[in-house]
Amino acid sequence: MRGLVKIEWLKIRTNATFWVLVGLHVGIVLLVVLSGKIFIRTLSINGESLKEMADISNIPIYHFPDIWHNITYVAGFLKFILAIYVIISITNEITYDTLRQNIMNGMSRADFIASKLALVILLSAGSALFVFFTGLIVGIGNTPDLALHDIIKYSGFNAAYFLQLTAYLVFALFIGILIKRTGLAMGLMFLYTLIIEPVLALRITTDTVKGLLPMKAINNLIHMPFGKYLLREVQDFVTFREILIVILYTVLFIYLVYLLLQKRDLK
Amino acid sequence: MNYVVTTHTLSKNYGRIKAVDELSLAIPEKSIFGLLGPNGSGKTTTLGMLLDVINPSSGTYSWFGNQSNKQNRKKIGSILETPAFYPYLSAVDNLKIIAEIKAIGYEPINEVLKMTGLYERQHSTYRTFSLGMKQRLAISAAMLCDPSVMILDEPTNGLDPTGIAEIRELIRTIARQGKTIILASHLLDEVQKVCTHYAVLKKGRLLYTGPVNNEAGNEHRVELEAGDPEKLYALLEAFPEKTGLERSGNRVIITISGHAEISGLSSYVYQHGLVPTHLVVLQKSLENQFLDILNESK
Repeated sequence: MRGLVKIEWLKIRTNATFWVLVGLHVGIVLLVVLSGKIFIRTLSINGESLKEMADISNIPIYHFPDIWHNITYVAGFLKFILAIYVIISITNEITYDTLRQNIMNGMSRADFIASKLALVILLSAGSALFVFFTGLIVGIGNTPDLALHDIIKYSGFNAAYFLQLTAYLVFALFIGILIKRTGLAMGLMFLYTLIIEPVLALRITTDTVKGLLPMKAINNLIHMPFGKYLLREVQDFVTFREILIVILYTVLFIYLVYLLLQKRDLK
Repeated sequence: MNYVVTTHTLSKNYGRIKAVDELSLAIPEKSIFGLLGPNGSGKTTTLGMLLDVINPSSGTYSWFGNQSNKQNRKKIGSILETPAFYPYLSAVDNLKIIAEIKAIGYEPINEVLKMTGLYERQHSTYRTFSLGMKQRLAISAAMLCDPSVMILDEPTNGLDPTGIAEIRELIRTIARQGKTIILASHLLDEVQKVCTHYAVLKKGRLLYTGPVNNEAGNEHRVELEAGDPEKLYALLEAFPEKTGLERSGNRVIITISGHAEISGLSSYVYQHGLVPTHLVVLQKSLENQFLDILNESK
């Protein structure tokens, strides 16, 4: 396993595309997180009716424990940048014939998949750690009365973010293996995420069934948190059922990737 | 004789097309084995199956007497069709990846790069390489693990004459180190120049397999000149092991059976009062052989 991680590291270490996309992900996450203040100001100007419910300028979006939920929710929108890299990585291996050469040189197909899963874990864990430390620093800088209890409370959302990202990147891996061509694979990923599944979801009336759709299930791990500032009830934690569905999807996608690759002739 | 790889009724179908049709082949250890055939005869498909990148439709194969597995492939250096590397990585990084896959150290990298003349360009990215350099990097990669078997598919494709000569010399050098080389080619001349054994494929079927030097069959053709052609002709007419005789200008071409000694022929001529001024054994060229084999199969 260590060998496989090393192989993947050699492949990305000097790859400009990798560093540009990782930089973009990090940069945009920071930008979005730090522009929360501007967002609130806009809300307070435009949302006249909101003013009666709460003092908007004092909304504690950066305070512990709320920050964990807020930051992981916002960062969740930017997972597509890392998914683009996963697709590029896998489809390049196919178009450059390096997947075939890797097998010829002595990898098994399962080894190859394991090395790509190592990439997925590296990206998810890296992003989750980055989001965690950003949250920690921003939280410490903004919370008036720091209490360890508040810092720990809701920090489980970081784990949910890690799972969400892993599941989505495994989905991207599956699309890449299935479609083989970079542009088409990215197109299909966005088409499915933004159009096909939402249209499907429209035709389903019960929320429980809706939650079984893969993208919906992945996104459901972290609900929209901002309702709480309008005194609405929002989730405090991720339910076991929600976690289970996402884990099942992840396993299913990995299995499909394995089936596809095992049966395919690498010409 | 020991075989590095044997196949048993190995087949690959693409729909109704039989790319490889019940191929049973045995490749002897330490041979340079040429896999010959016109384009589309199933050479690359066969090698692809042996390297586990193409799933056979039926039949089996076995490396080093045991089943196919990745440990076998770690001991094989291989190129299939075009060189395949990460274009954005340097030559040395590409080789490091291969070293990691084969679970060997980085020490041989410098050595193979020097052997193929790429040492000075090791830090250039692969995409900046010329076709010849790419081909040479592929050979470096195939040699990296000091393999006991090398599989080279059209290794001189797209190279200039100097490059071709270099690659052939490299193949012979490697073969002298006691390695087995499997060489797929549609260039007969290439196979004749380097190979010790060969097999001919056509439409996925095995037409012939055997050693290159005995391929001329059971006969020698010898061209002679010795002063008076009439007298020579008459003399050779009486040679006991003659199976054929023809004239060619001032010279006479005699065909004798394979077990006859050429030296016996020359002393026979000498003893009968003629001094041969010209005596050449005409090797039946592989090209003639190849065409014969293809024609016979029709």
